[in-house]
Amino acid sequence: MSIAWYLAVSAIVFSLGAIGVMTRRNPLVVLLCLELMLNGANLALIAFSRMWGNGDGQILAIVVMTVAACEVCIGLGMIVAIYRRHLPIDVDELRELQG
Amino acid sequence: MIPLATAHLKGPHIDFAGLSPLIALLGGSVLVLIVGLLGSRWIRAQAVPSLSLGALGAALGLTIWQWNAQKSIVSGALRIDDLALVLNLVLIAGAACTVLLAWRSLAAREAAHGEFHALLLSSVAGMSLLAAAQNTVALFVGLELLSIPLYVLCATELKREHSLESGLKYLIVGSVGSATLLYGLAMIYGATGTTDFAGIASALSNGSLATDPLTLTGVALCVAGLCFKSSIAPFHQWTPDVYEGAPTPVTAFMAVTTKVAAFGVFLRFFDVALIDTQVSWGPALAVLATITILVGNVGALGQSSLKRMLAYSSVAQAGYMLAGVVVSTQLGVRATVFYLAAYLFMNMAAFAVIVARERQTDLGDSIGALAGLGRERPLLAWPMTISMLALAGIPATAGFMGKFYLIDAAVSGGYTWLGVAIVVGSMISLGYYLPVIAAMWMREAPAATSPNDASVLAPTPGPLPALAGGSSELDEDGGPLSGSQPEVLVVAVLAGAATIFFGVIPQPLFDLVHGAGSGLGLF
Repeated sequence: MSIAWYLAVSAIVFSLGAIGVMTRRNPLVVLLCLELMLNGANLALIAFSRMWGNGDGQILAIVVMTVAACEVCIGLGMIVAIYRRHLPIDVDELRELQG
Repeated sequence: MIPLATAHLKGPHIDFAGLSPLIALLGGSVLVLIVGLLGSRWIRAQAVPSLSLGALGAALGLTIWQWNAQKSIVSGALRIDDLALVLNLVLIAGAACTVLLAWRSLAAREAAHGEFHALLLSSVAGMSLLAAAQNTVALFVGLELLSIPLYVLCATELKREHSLESGLKYLIVGSVGSATLLYGLAMIYGATGTTDFAGIASALSNGSLATDPLTLTGVALCVAGLCFKSSIAPFHQWTPDVYEGAPTPVTAFMAVTTKVAAFGVFLRFFDVALIDTQVSWGPALAVLATITILVGNVGALGQSSLKRMLAYSSVAQAGYMLAGVVVSTQLGVRATVFYLAAYLFMNMAAFAVIVARERQTDLGDSIGALAGLGRERPLLAWPMTISMLALAGIPATAGFMGKFYLIDAAVSGGYTWLGVAIVVGSMISLGYYLPVIAAMWMREAPAATSPNDASVLAPTPGPLPALAGGSSELDEDGGPLSGSQPEVLVVAVLAGAATIFFGVIPQPLFDLVHGAGSGLGLF
């Protein structure tokens, strides 16, 4: 099977994640979408790794999975902290700090 | 088949000497975390910061010990050369200032000192890793090791919702940046088949790969991802919010050291791995730099919060420094590193004064907190004045030398218009730096009777209220916060003095950054 299919899927997953981050308002869903972005990149890395026949891409993909887990931990921790302070769990309402 | 008993197990060679600064930082981080669990309040509040200063000192010593080393370690993942070592020095100095600024801070106390300092040290380790990264795996790990502790550090003042908010905001924006960068790295890996910077460079140097759409998409995504991290317009919108919301010592840390690490990786990744695509990214980055200079400087005009103003100013400074990356010459690398060092002194002086005033008045980081400082506390007013003048690029300060060097690099690299943009940006910047100086030297101190009214700065008749002690004002958070704070004063005075010193006698700093340019194999 051509590598183009894998790349197409990875690009779709990455774009879905990016769109989700920009449009969704619940921080939990935003975190999910961030995971989608990272996993889209992972898919591309693994496909390329297969194409080149070396392990470099797979190593990076494994590292990325570890890092993604850390990021989600931190993100969930902060959401819990915000929830305990009874702040609105809504990205759009967290707008007291406006650019 | 070799019988197992007679086989010699040959482990890989580990160059502990090259890794030693990183080991010192990470070891210090673990140690600080453990000591932070000890019961006594005194140990937590005094021994933990001292230990983390000790770890930074050890890393500093080991970095100097490695001076003039030119080697690749961890099978080519990290490069120990002058660029990495000079950036290490700047990072460690920035972190040491942060430890001092955070010594009595609310953030460190709420995050249980040990955790605060452990996170700080691991973030510094990530930056040091990033400055030395020589393949994309190390780059990504370094970037995340830098960012993840910083997300938490931003949110350490758990009782203040702005702090939590800024942490979450930084997490989301930062992760989008990392994911974008990662996708770009995946594309470049796909085009070249290697994660090694030198391998990428040699793959791009032959054939038509440098203009391949896959490569160029990858480069564009990498630019976007790194721009998120170094707050370059149009990816800068998070900067003012996060800088304002984060605890001030953490803001100081973020403003200085994140830039150092991000520009370290900019220099190494773009000027080593992607040098053959320079015709594509050079003009694009030059345009981004110009936009950043304009957006940052115009955005800072009229800000009443000092942290917000410095956030926009840091956006503008990132634009100046990008000019040194764009030209991809040795001179450009030197100018960028020189400016990073100058930037450390200028910003630390300003943030130290903000930290001091936040504890002495309850005007927070509003510009009104500085009113009348010149007469009342000249030791705080002078560093702030010097810092503002240096950030604006007035001669006889390190900021002037840095801008001069950058403009020199831009002009000799064929980007004269970028040099003009830097000058125009500096002129605009006077519009927001000078009001700070005016507030300190020309206004009267606000009356203590109406301390909550930040907007009213009318001169008050009669004798000046004694704000000097000021310990009663922040008592609601438990325990005296202010009173004497010699360590903050030391940071402010030293950073201010260094700004002047390297503005008048820049030669030591020139010598320091000289080697940084030659290590990358540029012209």
